[in-house]
Amino acid sequence: MIRNSTSILFAMLACSITQQANILNVGVEGIMLVAAFAAVATSFFTGSWVLAIFAAIIAGVLIALIIAVANIKYKADIFAVGMTVNMLALALTKFANHNILHASGSFTSQDIKPIPDVKVAALSGNAVVDSLFNQYNLMEFIGIILIFVTGYFMYKTVFGLRTRSIGMNQMAALTAGINVVKQKYVVMVISGVLGGLGGAYLSLGYTHMFTENMTNGRGFMGVAAMFFGNMNPVLGWVGCLLFGLLDSVGSQLQAYGIPSQLILMQPYIITVLILSAVLIVRKRKKTKLQSTNAGEA
Amino acid sequence: MNDNTIIEMSGINKQFPLVKAIDDGKFDLRAGEIHSLIGENGAGKSTMMKILYGVYAPDSGDIRVGDSHYKAMDTKKAIELGIGMVHQEFMLAEGLTVLENIILGSEPKKGSRIDFAKAREKVETYSRDYGLEIDLNKKVIDIPVGEAQRVEIIKTLYRGAKILILDEPTAVLTPQETVNLFKILNALKEDGKSVVFISHKLNEVMEISDRITVMRHGKYIDTANKEDVSIPQLAQMMVGRKVFLGAEKRSHEITDTVLSVKDIYVPSEREHSKIRGISLDIHKGEILGIAGIDGNGQKELAEAVSGLRKVERGAVVLNGKEIQNMNPQKIRMAGLSYIPEDRNVRGMNKSFSIKENLVADCFYKKPYSSRGVLNRKKIDNYAADVIKKYDIRPADTDICIANLSGGNAQKVICAREIDGDFDVLIAAQPTRGVDIGSIEVIRKILTETRDKGKAVLLISADLDEILALSDRIAVIYEGRITGVLKADEATDIKLGLLMTGEEIYEKE
Amino acid sequence: MKKNDYIEILLSILAALFIGGIVIFIMGFNPLAAYGELFKGAFQGNFGFGSTLAKFTPLLLTALAFHISTTVSVFNVGVEGSLYLGAMAAAWVGFGLTGVPAVIHVPLCLIAGAAAGGLWALIPAALKVYYNVNEICTTILLNYVAIDITSYMVNFPLSSKSGSPQTPSISDSASLTEFMLPSKANTGLFIAIALFVVLYWMLYHTTMGYRLRSTGANPAFSEYVGINPKREMMAGMFISGALGGIAGAIEVMGVYGCFLDNFSNGIANNGMLVALISRGDIRIIPVMAFFLAILQSGALGMQRYTSLDDSIISAIIALFILFATMQGLFKLKTTFGGPKKHTGLKTGSEK
Repeated sequence: MIRNSTSILFAMLACSITQQANILNVGVEGIMLVAAFAAVATSFFTGSWVLAIFAAIIAGVLIALIIAVANIKYKADIFAVGMTVNMLALALTKFANHNILHASGSFTSQDIKPIPDVKVAALSGNAVVDSLFNQYNLMEFIGIILIFVTGYFMYKTVFGLRTRSIGMNQMAALTAGINVVKQKYVVMVISGVLGGLGGAYLSLGYTHMFTENMTNGRGFMGVAAMFFGNMNPVLGWVGCLLFGLLDSVGSQLQAYGIPSQLILMQPYIITVLILSAVLIVRKRKKTKLQSTNAGEA
Repeated sequence: MNDNTIIEMSGINKQFPLVKAIDDGKFDLRAGEIHSLIGENGAGKSTMMKILYGVYAPDSGDIRVGDSHYKAMDTKKAIELGIGMVHQEFMLAEGLTVLENIILGSEPKKGSRIDFAKAREKVETYSRDYGLEIDLNKKVIDIPVGEAQRVEIIKTLYRGAKILILDEPTAVLTPQETVNLFKILNALKEDGKSVVFISHKLNEVMEISDRITVMRHGKYIDTANKEDVSIPQLAQMMVGRKVFLGAEKRSHEITDTVLSVKDIYVPSEREHSKIRGISLDIHKGEILGIAGIDGNGQKELAEAVSGLRKVERGAVVLNGKEIQNMNPQKIRMAGLSYIPEDRNVRGMNKSFSIKENLVADCFYKKPYSSRGVLNRKKIDNYAADVIKKYDIRPADTDICIANLSGGNAQKVICAREIDGDFDVLIAAQPTRGVDIGSIEVIRKILTETRDKGKAVLLISADLDEILALSDRIAVIYEGRITGVLKADEATDIKLGLLMTGEEIYEKE
Repeated sequence: MKKNDYIEILLSILAALFIGGIVIFIMGFNPLAAYGELFKGAFQGNFGFGSTLAKFTPLLLTALAFHISTTVSVFNVGVEGSLYLGAMAAAWVGFGLTGVPAVIHVPLCLIAGAAAGGLWALIPAALKVYYNVNEICTTILLNYVAIDITSYMVNFPLSSKSGSPQTPSISDSASLTEFMLPSKANTGLFIAIALFVVLYWMLYHTTMGYRLRSTGANPAFSEYVGINPKREMMAGMFISGALGGIAGAIEVMGVYGCFLDNFSNGIANNGMLVALISRGDIRIIPVMAFFLAILQSGALGMQRYTSLDDSIISAIIALFILFATMQGLFKLKTTFGGPKKHTGLKTGSEK
């Protein structure tokens, strides 16, 4: 379950950060895909998974910048740009897969150096503890750490405060002297980094290969998880776990004849319900405030 | 020049696309005083202070702050010089806490963390010193308006403001909150801070100010010490007269009541615009003018009668039928036409053409459509007629109405509203933002409508217009009617008093 | 639409083709020859031109679907979901009913598709209209739900149990005649074109269209003249979903003959992008849809003759759309005048 949810986790974090600034980054799918490719290619050619992670980050940032420039400077609709970038990423990685890695569909090789699992010698004595703590990939740890790092940044630092203020009331941020444009760019770059890490995990941690369209909607699940957690990284993580859980439960329940699809759709439905509930409450509050309370006049 | 003067603005001119907002304006501020800047809507007082705070740059003029002279300000510089402004619209992020909003942009740091403890301490000092009660931990969305205003004040103090500009601060406050605000302002004054208090509420201004400056139509009128001036005098300075665009008034008899508003209560986003018990009667063949400074419930009244706003209590009776809270279209069909005050929002579809806007109220009726299909030819012909009759430019039925000047667009809207069968016409601020030529046309439309035996409810912040066109005048203040006068009995002084809250009742 | 907009779109195409041309050149091929093969592939022969037409049909319909929702200022990203549900409904009626003459069966399937797609769209519509829930979020999420629902149905209750994830084939009486074999072109093309004409006529020549456009242009004013924005938005969304559903139905009835699990590779998303680059002018939509169809079907031709794979074309298409969504990308010195007539297309989050 942790494995399943980790790639969604990175996507969710990438989205949460930008959404705080009111930027709906649906392009995270494309960011992850390009990063995944960059990671595999680099690992293959250089034999170093460290370099591969760097490559993934750079790739992610580049794609994020494309989205950022199109949206911030050229006022392109953020949703359109995101979807288009996803399309572009699909095409670019497919092309690169064919022409750089000379593979079709999937690319695997013994020379791909994956991101290692973390094994703590001290814990490997006991079989139970070992299976609980020692089977996890480095990225999975990093992912969890990043949840709290993101949370810290968002809610305790100057940077986070300013980003959140932009999302809530851009005018208020402007009149407080904040450079809104610069802040938005920075936020997108960070999103690119996070998405890049997610992509690297996908192709070098969760699997050890590159497959065309390997993100397969995980970016969007990240978006959904982000809405589920209302931009809060920790709550969003719950959403990721939910998606991951239902995904693995789904495949197991199939053995009992319960179709996986019915399970898979639950997190989406739940998110929609939560979103609606929040807004219904808000509307009731507003109506009350504007009333003359004629009954008591 | 008084040594105590810390700010001096002179020779200020500011032209906006359609209107000259400030015409040779001046203003000065002394240390440790509360100086009120008053005038009607559009007088230029907000603009003047926005120039001081750096939101706008003047076309010409000089701004002196302390010993330095500036041709123009920007907000950053203004803040550095110790000027702070609390706008009419609060600049707060709703989801953040009060504390977070206050420190936004000037956050104290401890390494990479925000030093909330230090911030809290500093803010609490201000809070204590001036009696600004706020709850630092609440989210802005959960605090009442009065508290939000205190937050905005602390925001300015936190950035080191020694001069505070408050733009219509009491507009959103209840009477009790206003009392509290005045306590705070006096505390600030005692500490040597200076306050500019922009308002149009004369009784408040008389209570809190040391000096008062009056502006009118962008021009500087006069400055006086509070002791030397009275409310009626201020009212007269505020509303004075300019060129009389009068229309012929004929003596007429009051005939049947066609529209009756009975003790209605109407909600509003702003406290002082909530209507709490208005009653009016409008008769056939008369123009009833509603005078009053903008923001006292006029919009709410018009919207309540036309069906765009809820009527929480009371009744509106048109031709004997109760129409309150009915669907706007049904009210229209019952005989009411409405020229809205904000034509861009309620008056037209900006992206539609002239002809499409002209038929907006009748497109579903014959002859403009039959069985759901629009009859383009008839629509075109009708549009061509209207354009000719009212001299609308550019004279092209297909042109997008967004390309028309304010005056021409308004003529289109008027033409639409008076076409067809109706008994009552509500005209809200009909000549706002309109050129002189179009003003004449529109006023003629109103008087002709009256002469045809219809009833007209004219709502206008332009007192000249009210006086020129109305047969009777009712004055609205803070959601209530303070008095109703016959046109020939209305003097500037009486109107000024009514518009600022004094009540005079005529026997009806 | 300002003339400026037309020029920007044109320049976007050229820029994308230019960049693509450079890559083709680096790969060792002559870009002009390659593009030549592309256009040949899109127009030559039954297979070439037929494929173009086959791709054009769903693109046009889904683009119109999105356009109608933006007319009432709602961003219906859920057309894909409506597509799937419409397809499923049509397939069900297609194989479920037997012994019905084609003249009844075909319209029945189409109606089923339209109804399914339309009703589905009402869910996010209601949430937005009554509770102001951001429709972009809900429609994206609900797409997955729709895909899962149909996937479940095709694998379980409605499965053909033939080993592949599809429903039983629809009766001949429900099929849309194919022409230009071996391409997938079918008479659904004419249905799509007819619907375009009807939609255009409805929007500009009927009172219903007036109400819809007025709602999108200025809901506050529309309210005043007795148009109920809430009702119009729901209606607009229903039509939007219905068009998506019909698109799905046509794919089932004309192309596959049954409902195939996951048959759409983001058809509706492409349609949405077509609508977006048409910048609100409905007359451009068929042009853009056709152009995209050319690119997509020509890719195969280019691939065959130059061994370049179709990902190049996909990339070019993506680049073109990317450029076309940016405003002011090309610094045009002169502004060709003319008043603006379209309603703006802004994401909900921008408001």
